[in-house]
Amino acid sequence: MTILLRRVRPEQVRELTLVFILIAVVAFFATQIPNYIAWQTFTDISTGVEIIAVVAVGQTLVVLTRNIDLSIGSVVGLVAYFVGTLLASAPGLPAPAALAIAIAMGGALGAVNGVIVANGRVPAVVATLGTLAIYRVALVELSGAKTVTTDSLPSWLLNLPRMSVVSLGQLDVRPLVLLALVVVIVFQLVLSYLPYGRRLFAIGSNPDAARVAGLPIQRDVFVAFVLSGALAGLAGFLFLVRFGNITVVAGQGLELQVVAAVVVGGVNIFGGSGSIVGALVGATLINVLQQSLIRWPAVSAFAQDAILGLLILLAVASDKVILGRLRTIWVQARRRDEERAAATAAEQATRGA
Amino acid sequence: MARELLRRLVSWEGLLLAILAVIVVVTGLAVPGYLNPQNQINLLELSVEKAIVVLAMTFVIVSGEIDLSIASVMGLSAVLVAWLKEQGVPLEVGIVAALLVGALCGLFNGYWVAVIGLPSLAVTLAGLIGYRGAALLLVGDRSIGGFPEWFNRLGQQPLFGPFPLALIVFAVLLVGATVLLQFSGFGRYAYVVGSSPEVARFSGVRVRRVKLAVFAMSGVVSAFAGVLLLARLGAVRGSTAEGFELDIITMVLLGGVSIFGGSGTMAGVILSILVVLNLRNGLALANATGNTQAGVIGALLILSVLVPNIVVAARSRLGRGGPAEAAVIPKLSDL
Amino acid sequence: MADEAEGRRSETDAPPPILEIRGVSKRFGSTQALDDVSLALQAGEIHALLGENGAGKSTLIKIMTGVVQPDGGELIVDGRPVRVGSALEAQALGIAAVYQEPMIFPDLSVAENIFISHRDRGRIVDRGAMRRDAKAVLDRLGVRLDVGEPARGLTVAAQQTVEIAKALSLRVRILIMDEPTASLSAHEVRRLFGIVKALRGEGVAILFISHRMEDVFQIADRVTVLRDGRWISTRPRGEVTPASAIRDMVGRTMGEFFRRTPTRLGETVLEVRGLAREGAFAGVAFTVRAGEVLGLAGLVGARRTDVGLALFGIAPADAGEVLVDGRPVTIRSPQDALRVGIAYTTEDRRQLGLIFPLSIAANITLPTLRRYLSRFGLVRRAAEDAVAQGFKERLSIRALSVETAAGTLSGGNQQKVVLSKWLNTRPRVFILDEPTRGLDVGAKAEVHQIIDELAHDGIAIILISSELPEVLAMSDRILVMREGRQMAVFDNAEATQERVLAAAMGQSAAPAGAIV
Repeated sequence: MTILLRRVRPEQVRELTLVFILIAVVAFFATQIPNYIAWQTFTDISTGVEIIAVVAVGQTLVVLTRNIDLSIGSVVGLVAYFVGTLLASAPGLPAPAALAIAIAMGGALGAVNGVIVANGRVPAVVATLGTLAIYRVALVELSGAKTVTTDSLPSWLLNLPRMSVVSLGQLDVRPLVLLALVVVIVFQLVLSYLPYGRRLFAIGSNPDAARVAGLPIQRDVFVAFVLSGALAGLAGFLFLVRFGNITVVAGQGLELQVVAAVVVGGVNIFGGSGSIVGALVGATLINVLQQSLIRWPAVSAFAQDAILGLLILLAVASDKVILGRLRTIWVQARRRDEERAAATAAEQATRGA
Repeated sequence: MARELLRRLVSWEGLLLAILAVIVVVTGLAVPGYLNPQNQINLLELSVEKAIVVLAMTFVIVSGEIDLSIASVMGLSAVLVAWLKEQGVPLEVGIVAALLVGALCGLFNGYWVAVIGLPSLAVTLAGLIGYRGAALLLVGDRSIGGFPEWFNRLGQQPLFGPFPLALIVFAVLLVGATVLLQFSGFGRYAYVVGSSPEVARFSGVRVRRVKLAVFAMSGVVSAFAGVLLLARLGAVRGSTAEGFELDIITMVLLGGVSIFGGSGTMAGVILSILVVLNLRNGLALANATGNTQAGVIGALLILSVLVPNIVVAARSRLGRGGPAEAAVIPKLSDL
Repeated sequence: MADEAEGRRSETDAPPPILEIRGVSKRFGSTQALDDVSLALQAGEIHALLGENGAGKSTLIKIMTGVVQPDGGELIVDGRPVRVGSALEAQALGIAAVYQEPMIFPDLSVAENIFISHRDRGRIVDRGAMRRDAKAVLDRLGVRLDVGEPARGLTVAAQQTVEIAKALSLRVRILIMDEPTASLSAHEVRRLFGIVKALRGEGVAILFISHRMEDVFQIADRVTVLRDGRWISTRPRGEVTPASAIRDMVGRTMGEFFRRTPTRLGETVLEVRGLAREGAFAGVAFTVRAGEVLGLAGLVGARRTDVGLALFGIAPADAGEVLVDGRPVTIRSPQDALRVGIAYTTEDRRQLGLIFPLSIAANITLPTLRRYLSRFGLVRRAAEDAVAQGFKERLSIRALSVETAAGTLSGGNQQKVVLSKWLNTRPRVFILDEPTRGLDVGAKAEVHQIIDELAHDGIAIILISSELPEVLAMSDRILVMREGRQMAVFDNAEATQERVLAAAMGQSAAPAGAIV
């Protein structure tokens, strides 16, 4: 048992458990809801998750460094509105350009956060709470309280959700889902294989040590916020595509859902550990629950939020209790190994002396 | 003595006082009748529920935690009273029940944070979503209204001279909170627990009890504020009080209370409430929307931390710093 | 000055120093931390730096590592004047520092910890290559560690090794070691010295800062002493004795270690039988009488602190009995301990002893705050200040007033505030865990004086200390622990450093469990 625990790290156990829970939940609902296991369900869930997943990627980067970005809801709304208005007035704008503008705009908004937190030394909670309000104001002012309506948008945009990149029988892989998946994979690779990604872990794991080691903390944190903003901008584009009608309250409350997804996904709220894939699984689990509960007659539709709250609590509590226990066992096993080795060495030394 | 006074003036509280003075003067000049006492009372009335919760939230943040669920508890409490009335329960009983539920919510939060040791951000985030969900379960997407006249006028009826009950209650709570935080043993424990829970524990302070008490207080006070809100609005829906937590946290932080715990004063928080309320009112009179007001306050919040940081950095670069200079090494924000 | 010492060392022209500090000064506000200090480090030497707290050692380190800029003077590396403006620039010059509390990233693997600051390892992280290179570096130090595992849970000694490996991988030429042996067991110290000598062999200059004389005299080639920010002397080890070093550090001849004044012992206050906590210690049994000082000796890892934590209720025991004044007591929390009159000062004063932003008075009354509350629960400031003032005078705490923030005091004065805080609880039993760690010679003597007075007042004292001379000088009896087990109990008369050390290393025949 201990040997097994030594081979597999507690964090990996956590992620595997999450996947098992997801499977268990799906299996459960399959018994309760007719026609649950269908490609349609997959499509519903994946389109529901894509926006949150993209934002959760950015949030993971920020949370890893022991910060948080509460402004993303406002960024998503602002970008969705801005790009929608742009396309309404210039329908000839090609799709890649619109996408690029969305990302760039989000990145700029994220950069403001980055400057305030990394250079201004303002705590991230305070800074992004402030920009959440400021960006929302910008949206209201920009829009003049008007709405972006679907009839003003170009048809390619409106058709995007229904297009299929690949069709395997009944399974339709939507382009935007694919895009979200690509984003997840790319950034998981960034975290695993780019020095920048590894530094993010270091900064959250021990900020003092990071300082002393001469890591470019300010720059790295700044970039993390820029990326978070850029991804929120991308999500804004997805938001526009998905909903078409953008009001001034677009994106409000998104930050809570994303933080929930990240927390359930096993990213430590104090930084230093977690993975993008974990955040994705967390977001998926939440979405699966939300969608399934609606279709489950046994529970009122309004119970969704209550159950979600419970889920988050359970995720965090089990993290503390189970992960903590696993870690203790792991560390103890390791210490025992080391002490044994040290004792042998000491005996040899005294025998020799 | 003079130096002490000067130091106080240059402190955070002094800065807030200056800002408040500027706002009041400017608005007073621009808008006739602004400084009319009745006007000021009306102004305060509109946000008294939030202001009351700000008092409790101060304790939470000073003790090093955060409570994101306050708005949801407010909403739940309001919904509960309304729903119980619908079931035929007398209003008075309903109110007591709501307060009890508020306390339970607070204790529930506190249990996971203080006893199990989970981060309060995550726990109260779950609470924010969960308690809102509980409210939705009760009220669905309807709206419940139709309260007796005496209840609807509860907050607004002038009770003592021109002062309505809500304001009197706020004033009493204000005094109580100030005494509790600044002058009582419990307040000292809150500061100590926020400054360093480990030292507190090693010094025989019952950290768990302090944190449980702080969260319970937050719950009860939020529930109470929810009842007042219900009385003022006359009706409730599932989304009542949604988003209030942002404003409330902002007001506490703007008052000079550090997000990390262990510092800040009630005086600063009171000034912050006055600044925010007057600022909102002034902007409203200048035809700025609620959103714009939030934006301005958001900017103020950021500047309130940013500007002192810049000043400190500038001073140390000019070599005026004392031994603190060696300690001014880039530090990242912890959650 | 430094040149003189250089001259004395060898008549022939010595190779140019790898690092030279010339006339460096630094002022912080009104404190002159360094005043015209000069020092030269040779490649391939172990150079010890001695000095009391406040002598300027840490400021010197900060200047060398680029954290702080000097007001005057210059740093010369390989004969060229340099400016060390940042941690990165120090790294580029080959200057690295290993501190008492090693700075590692618990969530990253050992290999990543070693190479995290490297800029030249390419755009993609190659885990396999990183592991290989990490093993190679550790091999050079003669150490074996599992490089793929997260650094979480490594012992302090292993963490230090990782730090040294990190420095070595960055081609360190000047390695600063700040109190490296403070938390190590004897075996680990031996291993560390082996590593340090290996580094010396590779031509690295090592600046070794330590309060422990025995370490300094075992490993140093030359010894420099600073006092009050000024350079005092630099001598080859052969020309220095502990007494002469202390004389230089303190500026006056110090007598031998503190001498206890004779105290009349009273009744047995504390009796411990068969105390055990799973995974920590077992079979601990002893008694302490009023006015007696029981020294708890042992090497790091002996689990003495755990015994203290059990008696104070922070980490309660699973088994055994504790009797105070002959009556059995249950201690499951600090409140329980305080109620029966047991007080405990922690090893780590900074992290666990004081609330820095709080005033001295508030710190002192913290455990006993209830005594100073009025009927309505309000704090009676006047009473609080009076008590604090009393302790300030009794223990000679040097501060402007009792309203001063505790964080602004020097180490020695902070320790006195900690002592006051616990004395105010009127303890019958006072457990002191490493009370003089990190204090300079003068402050140490003051604390010893206080302990002596407390014994006179009839308090039963348990002194946990890793400094054998201190334990031998202060204790009436000495209990030796090793790896959670009680090895021996000595009377002061029969205790010698050798006997105690032997017991601490497990080479004694005294049976555990015997109450002496």
